[in-house]
Amino acid sequence: MTTQLPPGMQLEKVDERIMTLNVGPQHPGSGHMRLIIKVDGDHIVSCDPDPGYVHRGEEKMTEYRNYIQNIPHLERPVIHDSCNILYPYCLAVEELLGIEVPERAKYIRVIASELNRCVYTLYWLGIYGIFLGHSTMFMWPMGDRELLIDLLEALSGARVTHAYFVPGGVRNDTPSNFEEKCLRHVNYFEKRLKEYEDIFYQNPVLKQRTEGTGILSRMDAIRLGTTGSVLRSAGVDFDIRKKEPYDVYENLDFQSQVLKEGDSYARSRVPYLDMLESCRIIKDALKKMPKSGSVRTKLKPNPKGGNNEAYRRVESGRGSLGMYVVSDSKPEPYRVKISVGSFRNMICMPYLLKGEKLGNMPAVYWSLNYWPVEADR
Amino acid sequence: MSTIAPEFRLSRFIASLTDLIFWILVLFTLVGLPIVMIVLFYIELPVINGELLTPYLALTWLADPSRTLPIIKSLLYTDFFRIAAFPGFGFAALLASAIIFIERKFLAKMQLRVGPLYCGKVEGILQLMSDGLKLLSKEIIIPAKADKPIFWAAPLLFIGTAAALVSLIPVAPGWVVADIDVGILAVFAVIGFFPIITVLSSWASNSKFPFIGGIRALHQMISFEIPLILSLLGIVILTGTLNLTEIVESQQHYWWIIFMPIGAIVFFITLLAELERIPFDLPEAESEIVAGWLTEFSGMMYGLVQLGSYVKLYAFAALFTILFLGGWNGPMVWPPFPEEIITEGITMGPITVKIPGLPLLDQEMLNATLWFVIKTVVVIMVILLPRGVFPRIRIDLLLHTGWYKLIGLAFVNIFIALALLYAGVLGPGGLIQ
Amino acid sequence: MVSKKKTNAKPSETVKEESHPVTEESHPVTEESHPVTEESHPVTEESQPEVAKKEESTLVPEPTFEKSIASRIVSKFGTKTVIGFIKPNRIRINTKKEDILDVASYIRDELNFDHAESVSGVDYPESKEIEVVYHLGSYSDPQLAKQILTLATRLPREDVPNPGKDSTRMSSLRDIFYSVEFHERECFEMLGVYFEGHPDNRRLLLPEDWADVPPLRKDFRIKGRVA
Repeated sequence: MTTQLPPGMQLEKVDERIMTLNVGPQHPGSGHMRLIIKVDGDHIVSCDPDPGYVHRGEEKMTEYRNYIQNIPHLERPVIHDSCNILYPYCLAVEELLGIEVPERAKYIRVIASELNRCVYTLYWLGIYGIFLGHSTMFMWPMGDRELLIDLLEALSGARVTHAYFVPGGVRNDTPSNFEEKCLRHVNYFEKRLKEYEDIFYQNPVLKQRTEGTGILSRMDAIRLGTTGSVLRSAGVDFDIRKKEPYDVYENLDFQSQVLKEGDSYARSRVPYLDMLESCRIIKDALKKMPKSGSVRTKLKPNPKGGNNEAYRRVESGRGSLGMYVVSDSKPEPYRVKISVGSFRNMICMPYLLKGEKLGNMPAVYWSLNYWPVEADR
Repeated sequence: MSTIAPEFRLSRFIASLTDLIFWILVLFTLVGLPIVMIVLFYIELPVINGELLTPYLALTWLADPSRTLPIIKSLLYTDFFRIAAFPGFGFAALLASAIIFIERKFLAKMQLRVGPLYCGKVEGILQLMSDGLKLLSKEIIIPAKADKPIFWAAPLLFIGTAAALVSLIPVAPGWVVADIDVGILAVFAVIGFFPIITVLSSWASNSKFPFIGGIRALHQMISFEIPLILSLLGIVILTGTLNLTEIVESQQHYWWIIFMPIGAIVFFITLLAELERIPFDLPEAESEIVAGWLTEFSGMMYGLVQLGSYVKLYAFAALFTILFLGGWNGPMVWPPFPEEIITEGITMGPITVKIPGLPLLDQEMLNATLWFVIKTVVVIMVILLPRGVFPRIRIDLLLHTGWYKLIGLAFVNIFIALALLYAGVLGPGGLIQ
Repeated sequence: MVSKKKTNAKPSETVKEESHPVTEESHPVTEESHPVTEESHPVTEESQPEVAKKEESTLVPEPTFEKSIASRIVSKFGTKTVIGFIKPNRIRINTKKEDILDVASYIRDELNFDHAESVSGVDYPESKEIEVVYHLGSYSDPQLAKQILTLATRLPREDVPNPGKDSTRMSSLRDIFYSVEFHERECFEMLGVYFEGHPDNRRLLLPEDWADVPPLRKDFRIKGRVA
């Protein structure tokens, strides 16, 4: 080869038997990332995930903005779960700056976080349905999601990318009729969730397709460092809301959902059970919330953290979302590292898809609760 | 479309109109009439009231409007009308288009949404027309290394084969395009064509995703043809004939679905697989292989394939109706044609008008058509239903179902039929006629 | 980040000072010093961790469990590791890059930390070092469910980076903690740290034809913003 390849490109010999498929960004079955899959007939020989199509340099940008200016762009990795991605950032910054959050703000944060978890999980479930060819399971979650997005719009003013959490509390208080509206919507939503059980989770074709595929054993789940629903569907009971409770989760009454099988069916079921738990948490929090109080501790202008670091983590829709914030004497953080559940679960993809049938690829791949935008940051 | 219209001038407009009329007249007299004259040598001209209907005679209806109805009636019974309009392609295409619209609305209601709403005043009725116009106006892109003759021919072959299937189906007694004595075998012969067309078009596309889709379609269609054939053998055994019209006539007192329910179920499942409907729509699995074997078709080629697909749907549903649900048999609900209009004419005040040539179509035929359409529409609704309920099945599960379970059930059905025959319950000389 | 010692550090405990447990109420902005300040690290000493001052001990329980873990590590490895800080649920251990494999194996085998939550690189251009920080957690041990052990090491940093071929390299922890595979790849491309022993040091998020400075270094400036 006399031609010089650009850096990063590599030549590969074309095999007669093994076909390389680009389940690429231009594909209805991949989301915004590429999977380079080598197929031998119907069996996948190897899978190489290639994320980075939506990489926007979030971590670099945080070094150029101060603690409050970082909020709108840090929530962009997951726009509909934005409260959960800002949550560890706010907790870490509060630790660095030494701020105390008022009690009512903690409850509002919990409610908003659970609403966001449901919104994200419904979106994910809809896409899971359509990957398997079940268009009704795409339409129903999208329709029911609108109820919860209405609540979030009433809270924060935006349907997605709420920018609602700030270090010190939340940006503004709830509107006056929020409690009744929230209770009504959440009750209706719980009834709708029972219908999902009939059409999706008890559907014989779905069970045939997903049960027994992509099995992740408990030891492997721990060794690969997976998190979130992938971990809990393999039998490991680790939910950060229970193990390292933050804000007021220790006062609320809920269970962490664990299933033992570790196959795609279990992985698709754990977020659904989580949503049912979220409804309980929201109703409980609405009951226990202090009826009045401030929701925000004002910060001094341009707060500085000193030479300090903090690592806080939160259970988001995808798994444990950790923020490692290093501060110095300037108003901007020195380094912010976002450790997202999708990125940590990405290691399961080459591991689980090897040896699978090509027909199982969407079922396994999307059941890993992978959100490409968040993994790329 | 994007040029600015020039200024309007009345003289120019009238000039263009007269220009148009001039050219129409020239073409009509110099080209059209000679072609018609030449063609008419080969077409059988109908005989009305003892006279042969030439075009000149037909044009004299301008003088005597009472001749319109006999002329039309004679045209109704020609072969050409049957192929193009009534039980043939026109009827099937119309019903297929209606099915597309109904499917979208039906599915939308199941999914708690509305479906097409804005095109047309009433709930989006003209949506299909606008979709057709959109597909017509799109550019047809052919991949560079595709096999061009086969690629161009594939949609035409597809819709042609679907039309061939439609031509075998009797809608009313005597109203069938091709009344073949081995009707069911002809149906299977035509059905056996479809996998070939699918594989040819996917191979001609020269791309990976159509290739995978074509292979899957081949596997699916071939492995479901055998249960399809076997499930109908029970009926053939019991009626003793392969002719579709005779099978319908044998169902005058009872429907075959009562005695062959397993056959009906097997036939229904295999027809879902042959039509590539959900849960068996692997060849077009959108989330895995983009659009399967249809990936590279664009514009009207895609439109033709979709139309062919829905014409096929109508044909299979009609087959199900004919074989299991009694075809056109049903109680007479169509009102009889009032006799007074034939003998005495219509009286409006002082004027009495006699219209010769009525009735156009007799009551029995209309009743039969009505029942046939009702039953077919019901079957079609049931075929459309799984689309909202099931996800897509995987290829190995599909093959497992087709080769093991359905063939087994079909054989059970044949044994039931043989048992009924030899027990003397059904069939010629049986207890129930 | 060059640490400056504040006055609340006694001169005797030059290196290993633990910061006071961070509370949400009163928060003296204490910083923890990195044991490597002027000299290269680690600085030697082995004295017992300082007990928190009296007024803070009434506000929050002492992190004795974390202290026990930290002291086990320090007692096994002696001069090779230095405790960064001990806070409730957070322990930081700084070590040298040559010893990191042993320390990590010990942490995995004896202390039951079984996965890495994240691997970050932090760039310190003033001290010409890049710090690679591993956050380790445990799923299998219920006592350690809340703990995050931060394992940090410093690598020399060159002004003109040549990723893969210069002195910014360390051994990969992938054989010890399998979960760091993709995190180390990202660290490689973002900061230019080469991980020896990693089977696949390739670009992950950046495009294949990226030919500029590794982006998370401080030399790489975003146009249009002043920082």
